[in-house]
Amino acid sequence: MTTLLNTMYTQITPEGIIDRYPNSYNHFVLPFVIGISFIIVYLLIGLIRILYHLTAEDRKKLLVSIFTPKTAVKNIKDIFCDCLIHTKIWKRKPLLGYMHSAIAFGWFMLIVLGHIEVALFAPRHLDSIADGALYYPIFYRFFIWMSPEHETLRGSLFFFLMDFFLLYVLSGIALAMYKRVRSIALGMRHTTKPSLADRVALYCLWAIFPLRLLAEGFTADLSGGSFLTRPLNWLFKSFFGNELNFLPTWWLYSICLGLFFLAMPFSRYMHILTEPMLILMRNAGLKVRKPRKGFAEAEIYACSSCGLCLDACPMNTQKKNLKYSSVYFIRFLRRHNEKKVKEIAEKCLMCGKCYALCPVGVNSPDIRRALRETSNTKLSYDYAPMDKFSLPVEGDQKADIMYFAGCMSHLTPKIIKSVTTVLESAGKKFIFADREGGICCGRPMLLAGRTEAAKELISKNKKMIMESGCKILLLSCPICYKVFKDDYDLKDIRILHYTQYMNELIEKGELKVTKGSLSMVYHDPCELGRGCGVYEEPRNVLKAIGELKKAEKERDESICCGGSLGSLTLDNKDRGKIAESSIDNLTAENPQSIVTACPLCYRSFREKSPIPVKDFAEVVCENIKSN
Amino acid sequence: MKNNILIIGGGPAGLEASGILVKMGYNVILVEKEKQLGGHLAKWDTLFPDGLKAEDLLKAMIKKTGGVKYFTDTQVQSVNILNKSYNVILSNGITVLADAVLLATGFDLFKAEKKEEYGYGVYEGVITNADLEQYFKGNFSIKKPKAVGFVHCVGSRDEKACNPACSKVCCATAVKQACHIKEKFPQADVFCFYMDLRMFGRHYEDLYLKAQKMGIRFIRGRVSEVAETSEGRLLVKAEDTLSSKPIKVTLDTLVLMAGMRPSESGYQVGHQLNLSVEEDGFFSTKDTMLSLQKSNLEGLFFAGAATGPKTLPDTLHEARSAAMEIDNYITETFNKR
Amino acid sequence: MIDFGFGLSPSSRVNLDLRDKELFSKLIETESDALKCMACGSCTASCSAGVFEETSLRSALLNLQNGNKEKALNLLSHCMFCGKCTMVCPRGINTRHLILSINKIYQAR
Repeated sequence: MTTLLNTMYTQITPEGIIDRYPNSYNHFVLPFVIGISFIIVYLLIGLIRILYHLTAEDRKKLLVSIFTPKTAVKNIKDIFCDCLIHTKIWKRKPLLGYMHSAIAFGWFMLIVLGHIEVALFAPRHLDSIADGALYYPIFYRFFIWMSPEHETLRGSLFFFLMDFFLLYVLSGIALAMYKRVRSIALGMRHTTKPSLADRVALYCLWAIFPLRLLAEGFTADLSGGSFLTRPLNWLFKSFFGNELNFLPTWWLYSICLGLFFLAMPFSRYMHILTEPMLILMRNAGLKVRKPRKGFAEAEIYACSSCGLCLDACPMNTQKKNLKYSSVYFIRFLRRHNEKKVKEIAEKCLMCGKCYALCPVGVNSPDIRRALRETSNTKLSYDYAPMDKFSLPVEGDQKADIMYFAGCMSHLTPKIIKSVTTVLESAGKKFIFADREGGICCGRPMLLAGRTEAAKELISKNKKMIMESGCKILLLSCPICYKVFKDDYDLKDIRILHYTQYMNELIEKGELKVTKGSLSMVYHDPCELGRGCGVYEEPRNVLKAIGELKKAEKERDESICCGGSLGSLTLDNKDRGKIAESSIDNLTAENPQSIVTACPLCYRSFREKSPIPVKDFAEVVCENIKSN
Repeated sequence: MKNNILIIGGGPAGLEASGILVKMGYNVILVEKEKQLGGHLAKWDTLFPDGLKAEDLLKAMIKKTGGVKYFTDTQVQSVNILNKSYNVILSNGITVLADAVLLATGFDLFKAEKKEEYGYGVYEGVITNADLEQYFKGNFSIKKPKAVGFVHCVGSRDEKACNPACSKVCCATAVKQACHIKEKFPQADVFCFYMDLRMFGRHYEDLYLKAQKMGIRFIRGRVSEVAETSEGRLLVKAEDTLSSKPIKVTLDTLVLMAGMRPSESGYQVGHQLNLSVEEDGFFSTKDTMLSLQKSNLEGLFFAGAATGPKTLPDTLHEARSAAMEIDNYITETFNKR
Repeated sequence: MIDFGFGLSPSSRVNLDLRDKELFSKLIETESDALKCMACGSCTASCSAGVFEETSLRSALLNLQNGNKEKALNLLSHCMFCGKCTMVCPRGINTRHLILSINKIYQAR
């Protein structure tokens, strides 16, 4: 102790803190300083790049949103909930949520508390880089000596909090290590294969906190400590005597930190820094315009490669198709592997489950769509013939309701017949927009990345609908519903899926139904559920007309039927396998029949299902109360 | 002692084989799952190419089987292989120890409601080939039609229906039925929608010529969807591929020529014996040329549509060959001379 | 041969000897499905665009095999990508991707 005090800079603060090193500098901080400087520069360049590639309009939007109080509050809330606590993971997989928040929130608190400590007890070190502002708060415990007589309550509280959060982080790290061995214990069936940079960063991350514990344990008698570091210090002393040879652990601690920051941009851990930026941009309402630049780049680098999308992806029924999951898509985008990126982009069913379950909220389906756009949008098309003559529109031309069946419903006549029967029994007059066929809604073209062509189809349909003078546009296909809702801008016309409309009719008493004994399970079609958030209305109706059973996974976790128009290249065999797994998921509680509300799901299930598959309108139709 | 031979399936193949085996002096036990013998033949009115009454043919065949023990309304419950014989327990509680078994389990008609776009079970006017035969037999009635259509290849040559193969008999059946309809309703327009017209047998081409002369319109194109007009008639869409024009026509009755699928109950029996089936779901024969009646199991034989779609004459030929193969097998295995 | 200074009007007969095999084989490389078509006409019959103007994948494929590229592209130019043809194709051809590939390969020239 005395030897140490000789070299000390003797300025005792009221709290009894003394700087042990005159310049507050030791060579061991170098690796950390190099690492942190590198990451700061890298991040700044990245930020400028992303902002540069945003359109001027988007930049303005971003700026306005950051300074709008409402979005600013939302930004702070989202950053706190999504980046630190990760409420999204907590909700679905509590243990995994604990693991992540222990590491993220714990580490964050260590940094924040460390800085507060310095600000309170040695504020001059935060003044400038020359005073060690970059590293001093991180290695605070190394640089000070605290006279035990001067220990205050305030000081002890910080010692306790620092030890507490270190323990919190360590518990998370222990879980993370266990997860590497047995991921299923934390609720993950599939995990990603880590790349080299991932491994370097991962092992550094694992090492950082145990090393910190060791390092602070060595110095606990000099710089203070609490329930964790003090006993450790006592233990070290009884083993190593009074020898204070602790510098190597501080070196190692610094090296691990430095290496971690150096590997960071090339590893999955980049998400720690990019996720807040993504949240700001998303809350500003930005959308993917180009598949790699601007907003998309922020999304790509915000992917934490956690692999939760592997369990979510309907492709996971076959191991060979796991490679089409979003996590690999984004990894190949980062590596600029054009061939693989294109293949994955075209294969995807665009069911949106990876996006719904992504803890970071990376909208990879939209990036895929943008990627398809680059290769498909320049293909020529000719929709002039659609103006030459208009198809006969049937029904009562003065009716308020226009029913647009859509292309696919024409291959499932039962749906059309049931919808029209229900409308008639409710005494509703309607215009049948496309009994003889009509212009496609444009959603398939959008999904294929042929945006210009889609826009032309949309404008033609829009004209037809606006001219009809209807007040409600009724749809039986979720694919149509999604595009009419999102991309049409039909002014005052209410756009309703038939599940919503029939629910309304029943609630208003305009349609009377009886409760039957059929037990059913409801399948949430991707475009209706995840796409438009319609979950409750169909369930309300089904509960009124029969016994509704639960699927193993439902609502936003529902599994695609495999028939999605979103995929451009998936073959029938693989689609069939996906349908089978979706049916297995639905029949967990042995229902008598599967009910869905989409012509595509209806067709895919009917090919494979061992139990009857019915359309939503069909079961409603079967249960209409006859007068 | 007479050798026991069990025949599973009392349709044309099972009946024909049992008649011959009885004459050869075997103790034949015939099992049929339906209430009456005859299989699909019992539900048919007339047969192509010459309009022979199915009822007459069936009567003649049953007459030939005098002396056969048969159980109708009975299914095979379990089968075990014991040394060289088969121990079969039937659903009526009877146990049979058979020295040879003939699987004549035939086919099921494709369930036409699976091709949703044709609207079977949705529109009243859409019926199947089997329904139409019932109509010919006088078991139900249809309104006098102004126009009738026949759709060939429903559930045949269709990967989506899990049956890529041709069902062999539908083309000739459709032409026969179309002629019959035209005879009943000479004023009605009759259309046949075909992909390829497979009139391969003796006299089949004559049937085709007869239909042409009667004014039946043959359209080369597969029907893709059927809608309902506001008057409740059927709006049928297809492409006339020969003139490269999409066409639509309004009909009153649409007959779906449902194809042949492996028999479900036959599959259950085969499953217990671990008999292999091919990708199309029909049983695989020992080889593809010389031993068409043999299975991979000693003492187990096939006849008829259990091994793929067949016409009635083909089925009867197979039944006779199977009887001969069984006789050879019994002689070689049990009564060494 | 004597040149009379004027040409006979071109024969309406398709000359298979002169057809462009190179592009078609390029198509087959990415779309082996194109060979599976049995010309049943289901795609054309169900086509949403075909109601307005002649649109036919079946016919386009035959035209490509006969070397009539312009006609083929015309037959597909009104396609709205709705996917009905994929649903009804009895040979399970991925018609939508086939149409994309035809457009990509033949529009490039």
